[in-house]
Amino acid sequence: MSTIAKRVPINARKKLQSLMREYFVSLDAAAADSDRRVAWCTSVGPCEILSAMGYEVYFPENHGALLGARKISHECIPAAVGVGYCAESCSYMTSDIGAALSGISPLTEAFGIAGPPKPDLLSYSTNQCREVQDWWNFFGRRHDAPVMGIRPPSHLGQVTDAHVAFVRGELNQLITRIESHSGTKLDWSRLETVVDLSSRASSLWRQVLDLAQAQPSPITFFDGLIHMAPVILMRGSQEAIDYYDMLLAEMNERVEEGTAAVPNERFRVYWDGMPVWPKVRELSEKFFDLGVSIAASTYCNSWAFEEYDGGDPLEWMARTSTEIFINRDETFKQQFLLDMCKRFSIDGLIFHNARTCPNNTNSRFGMAQRLRDEAGMPVLVFDGDLSDSRFFSTAQTMTNIEAFVEQLEGCCQ
Amino acid sequence: MSGALFIGVDVGSSATKCVILDQAGALKGHHVVASGFKYSDAVDTAITQSLLDAKGRKEDIAYCVSTGYGRKHVSCSDRVVTEISTHARGARAWNPAVRTIIDIGGQDTKIICIDDHGQLLDYRMNAKCAAGTGTFLESIAVKLGMTLAALDKLAMQSTDPTVVNSYCTVFAGTEVIERIKAGQAPEDIAMGLFRSIATRIKEMIPGRSGAFGATGGVVQHCQAMILTLEETLGGEILKAPMPQHAGAYGAALLALESHAKKGSEVDHAPTG
Ligand code: SF4
Repeated sequence: MSTIAKRVPINARKKLQSLMREYFVSLDAAAADSDRRVAWCTSVGPCEILSAMGYEVYFPENHGALLGARKISHECIPAAVGVGYCAESCSYMTSDIGAALSGISPLTEAFGIAGPPKPDLLSYSTNQCREVQDWWNFFGRRHDAPVMGIRPPSHLGQVTDAHVAFVRGELNQLITRIESHSGTKLDWSRLETVVDLSSRASSLWRQVLDLAQAQPSPITFFDGLIHMAPVILMRGSQEAIDYYDMLLAEMNERVEEGTAAVPNERFRVYWDGMPVWPKVRELSEKFFDLGVSIAASTYCNSWAFEEYDGGDPLEWMARTSTEIFINRDETFKQQFLLDMCKRFSIDGLIFHNARTCPNNTNSRFGMAQRLRDEAGMPVLVFDGDLSDSRFFSTAQTMTNIEAFVEQLEGCCQ
Repeated sequence: MSGALFIGVDVGSSATKCVILDQAGALKGHHVVASGFKYSDAVDTAITQSLLDAKGRKEDIAYCVSTGYGRKHVSCSDRVVTEISTHARGARAWNPAVRTIIDIGGQDTKIICIDDHGQLLDYRMNAKCAAGTGTFLESIAVKLGMTLAALDKLAMQSTDPTVVNSYCTVFAGTEVIERIKAGQAPEDIAMGLFRSIATRIKEMIPGRSGAFGATGGVVQHCQAMILTLEETLGGEILKAPMPQHAGAYGAALLALESHAKKGSEVDHAPTG
């Protein structure tokens, strides 16, 4: 199929580049300044508390993704394996640890800084996986910085008030530990403000993603992978809100004008699981050429939280971070995917079986088959990985994807 | 002059196959050649030899569908279709009862499930490594200093197949050496290798509905493969008439249909 149709670039991207540069340069300066403090945090971790207590927050998973996207993970992973981290465990973790051991960072080329900022403390939540705990512990030892985490109940069907109360208690304890380490008391009104900012950015992000219900879709999963950066890295800031206001306006305009992310959109597909960072460009081009719009994904929706309507900010943090998809049971996840397929008028589903991330892979317990039967649509499961391209066969995956589209076309009938 | 010809070219990682049909869908010619280093040479040879077989000329080719690992390397292709769809299309023609196709190729093994109308329902490929593919058998045959045909002949004499467990070709090779050292009968070890492929295949099958059909080079050349598949899967395995050409045959059928469709589109094109 020829690529006659042209992509219409998203204008907001220029602003995003400058935002990202400011964010990383500021982090770098904070790490070098004894009056400023840096905390590391997991992507759906307690970052609002850290921000409210004056820390500048850095997210190592982003570094893992960058190492993958810049195709340098495979150079870094052997160093981590050499010091005892299993090559089949989270490749964000192994590539990030390996990068530190090898003195490699994509931040140097991208933003002109030496690498990740040195942490004053590291904070995590195991609401996504237990791997983060050991990953953070490596850097805690390396930088002689305290590691403070919370461990919410996991694999939940319903999230009950008791679950929320438990996590709220954990967050409270975390605050006490940070206060005693930093010698600074949490300003609760500041926390309310940060949570409000965080929730507003998240809500705008959700609205952006929801516009992909339009046919043709103005934005795809691959665009989402670029534009979700502020909702993770700058959550709790006015800059993130301003950015998503701008992006939302542009997307609304696209919908009004019928501007498609994939011109000649023939099929609409859902992507479950992690991105394949080293192959994002190839995959994006492949789907574009096939006239397939990946209109919705689990991954990009991971940062679309319930809105904060005032009240106890800690309760909002406890609830939203426990309710996230990755922390739920199979029944919840299956229903979520079914609902998403309906809402986004999906024709077929793709599951990425990320070999080093069982936590964010949902095809390992028969869900793909169950969804195929229940939703009555083609489902493809392919093997790959988030960062380690050695787990990914380009030829085999491309054949799988083309066959999937032939299935959607009814080619053999 | 043989009239309009419809060709399917399946460029596999090990072999390139070509099938030529006439307007009525009758088989007119076919050929298989090693894919080698240069796909375009293999494609040229496969097409030229098939045309000789069909007593046809290049100008008679009305439509060409290419498929297989090197499907994008066929310069005369009018349409590119994956080997998954061409196998599905081919199976419906060679035995309409087939619902699950087991294709054991050089580089990968595929399971393709189709519905009563031949529409793709599900498909699986083995994950990257050679275990469970033709390459697995070939590499172990080489290690044992014999051809694939000789390995098959040996396996057919087995009375008590040994178990080869490993998921990895290298480890399976080590296991074979261990079995030889332990004094197990060579024919039982040989059959154990075929059985290990059958076991991998069993893991890939989503569930039984309708008949099993088998295609691919290993199926064409190894009787032991069909035998052990029948034992492992518990039922008859229908062998495609030209197992190694099944993908090319499906491609040729799609060439015929695509050409007819193209014709009907032209017939109905607005004239004003
Ligand atoms: S969720 Fe997966 S990718 Fe993310 S940190 Fe955990 S194991 Fe790694």
